[in-house]
Amino acid sequence: MNENLFTPFSTPTILNQPATIPIILFPATLVLTSKHPINNRLATIQQNLIQLTLKQMMMTHNAKGQTWSLMLTSLITFIAMTNLLGLLPYSFTPTTQLSMNLAMAIPLWAGTVMVGLRFKTKNSLAHLLPQGTPTPLIPMLVVIETISLLIQPVALAVRLTANITAGHLLMHLIGNAALALSTANFSLTLLTSTLLTLLTILEIAVALIQAYVFTLLVSLYLHNNT
Amino acid sequence: MLSRVVLSAAATAAPSLKNAAFLGPGSFFNHTGLGVPLKTTKRIRASICTIITCRVLQATRTFRTGQPHLAPIPPLPEYGGKVRYGLIPEEFFQFLYPKTGVTGPYVLGTGLILYALSKEIYVITAETFTAMTLIGIMVYGIKKYGPSVAAYADKINEQKLAQLEEAKQSSIQQMQNAIDMEKSQQALTQKRHYLFDVQRNNIAMALEVTYRERLYRVYKEVKSRLDYHIAVQNMTRRKEQEHMINWVEKHVVQSISAEQEKETVAKCIADLKLLAKKAQAPLVM
Repeated sequence: MNENLFTPFSTPTILNQPATIPIILFPATLVLTSKHPINNRLATIQQNLIQLTLKQMMMTHNAKGQTWSLMLTSLITFIAMTNLLGLLPYSFTPTTQLSMNLAMAIPLWAGTVMVGLRFKTKNSLAHLLPQGTPTPLIPMLVVIETISLLIQPVALAVRLTANITAGHLLMHLIGNAALALSTANFSLTLLTSTLLTLLTILEIAVALIQAYVFTLLVSLYLHNNT
Repeated sequence: MLSRVVLSAAATAAPSLKNAAFLGPGSFFNHTGLGVPLKTTKRIRASICTIITCRVLQATRTFRTGQPHLAPIPPLPEYGGKVRYGLIPEEFFQFLYPKTGVTGPYVLGTGLILYALSKEIYVITAETFTAMTLIGIMVYGIKKYGPSVAAYADKINEQKLAQLEEAKQSSIQQMQNAIDMEKSQQALTQKRHYLFDVQRNNIAMALEVTYRERLYRVYKEVKSRLDYHIAVQNMTRRKEQEHMINWVEKHVVQSISAEQEKETVAKCIADLKLLAKKAQAPLVM
């Protein structure tokens, strides 16, 4: 089935047509929207979770930052759902592709920077120099801070890609090991299976945490700039 | 919804344009042509959009052949259909029950799985182990935390309902309070006449008191006038008396001559001596 270890990460095709767009749009069909105040349990729980994350995330922002709440809430929901769906067997996770993560990270980061530069030019430029630096170090430090600012989107994208990809790869590898061991030595298979279980639990946590981290960092950049 | 409104409006407004592909320019909306400059107000832009929508709807009328829903659709069921093992609906088991009994679907399932495995339609790969662990974790999680999560969701729904119910009840309670207050006010107005009676009595008493006061004053005035007359009369009488006495005295004194006075005085002395003798005589005795 899988020629090498990286075939799960290649572009999925249906009859040689790329099927990435339906796969990316699929998690949206799982998030329920409803006009009724009282829904079934699934819709209630989803609504409640989204409300919880929204409150938690947007409490620290002022009115200007809170205009981003729809963007950030949909971001965290999308990343969490995509990551969790990627844990299913034979599925494709769009967030393992650096292209998609860069496409998410760069516009959001650039948006926060531009908002900061436009409305609070002095403040956002002042972030380039930490407080209390000795005078001879100032030019070097400005350069360093600029580089750390410019590296933020790349860091966001690569962090997400690397974490999810590494997790998926690890699960594949351990699954292969368990498969190979199932013919040779059955007790070791059980051990490997236990390891796989623990790893899957970790993956679930990682999926959620990565979503959270991504959104939190964007929100932090926003907070600095509004 | 919009298509129905548009179609009915078009049918009434332009019966001759039965199969026309476009409407006249702005026939039943604001008059705007297509040559509108870019800097239009919001209202004009909205009306342009409406016009274009109407034209498109009219042009595509022949494609829309289904019957529109003219009544509200029935509400969705509250709970989903029953499912066995989380995947297979209960109706499937009922469907196979008359022919194959209770074990029918299970035998079918086992056969299908073994067929797929033996013919390598489903190949056991690393993903199999991943799938097994994932399904194991999911089943464990759902079995363990499912009921509590469901109870939590129910609690949230119940809280929402309770809030709405509370709002309704408080509104009803307010109305009830208003009704009760109105009733009590009405009852009070029934008893208002006591107040008026008391006030009436008070006023009557005050009037009586004033009347008596003035009567007394009148009496006093009249009495003083009469007293004055009496005093005047008394004074006149007294004066007359005094005058008469003075006149009598004067004449009597005039009439007493000098010898008469001497004669009278000598007689008085002789009388006195006699009296003295008479007084001394009993003393000696």
